[in-house]
Amino acid sequence: MSQTAVVQIFKALGDPVRLQIVQRLSNGVPLCMGELSKDLGISRQGARKQIQALVSANVVQLHPAGREVKVQLDAATLAQGRDFIAALEAQWDQRLQALKQFAEQ
Amino acid sequence: MQNVIQRELTINASAERIYNAIADAQQVVKWFPEAVSGEYREGGQAIMSFGDIGQSSIYIEAMTPYRYFAYRWVPGSNHFVGDVRTVPNTLVEFRIEELASGGCKVSLTETGFADLPMDIAEVSYGQNCRGWDFMLQRLQQYFSTETK
Repeated sequence: MSQTAVVQIFKALGDPVRLQIVQRLSNGVPLCMGELSKDLGISRQGARKQIQALVSANVVQLHPAGREVKVQLDAATLAQGRDFIAALEAQWDQRLQALKQFAEQ
Repeated sequence: MQNVIQRELTINASAERIYNAIADAQQVVKWFPEAVSGEYREGGQAIMSFGDIGQSSIYIEAMTPYRYFAYRWVPGSNHFVGDVRTVPNTLVEFRIEELASGGCKVSLTETGFADLPMDIAEVSYGQNCRGWDFMLQRLQQYFSTETK
């Protein structure tokens, strides 16, 4: 997996509005663009821009459905992001175990 | 999905002992970096050395005996030596809480990954993998000297 892709995922999620959009999609059910853009505290156009940023990072996919566009979470991409954080967490686990060994001796 | 790393463990030692293991430059090198230079104090800038892996500057944000220790760095970077506050960085926090049952709960958080620019984050990702190997080596060294 490309590191650039992973970094893009984290950058894409490093915004409260985009994170909220992802949370709304987190049960895996695709939502219409219009529905997803409601109550985000920003204009429809602003919401569209934020969704586009998520598309660019492959966090979500767009599927045309008749006159509407459905937005769906890209599960494979999110799994990559989890792997990245998991690697860092494993590193801290090792360090903390070393701290424990040292402090308890 | 998160912008935060959060870990927790129980250590069977006093809060003072654990705090000093983190906040005392002479002790932190026994389990974390191989060497520390510079000002290892609150508001100070120090450099952690990880053997062949390289060096990382840190800025010590807070030292509160025997409860809290926090610093900023560019995670895993062996190229960035300088004032980390001038570049995007992550905040690493250690919290120590005494348990009624004895020992302490130690919590670690690292926050700010989403703020890292792409180039730094790419570099730190590669280096974190190497850093991980280094820590494993150090652990093995530690255990082999313990059993002697």
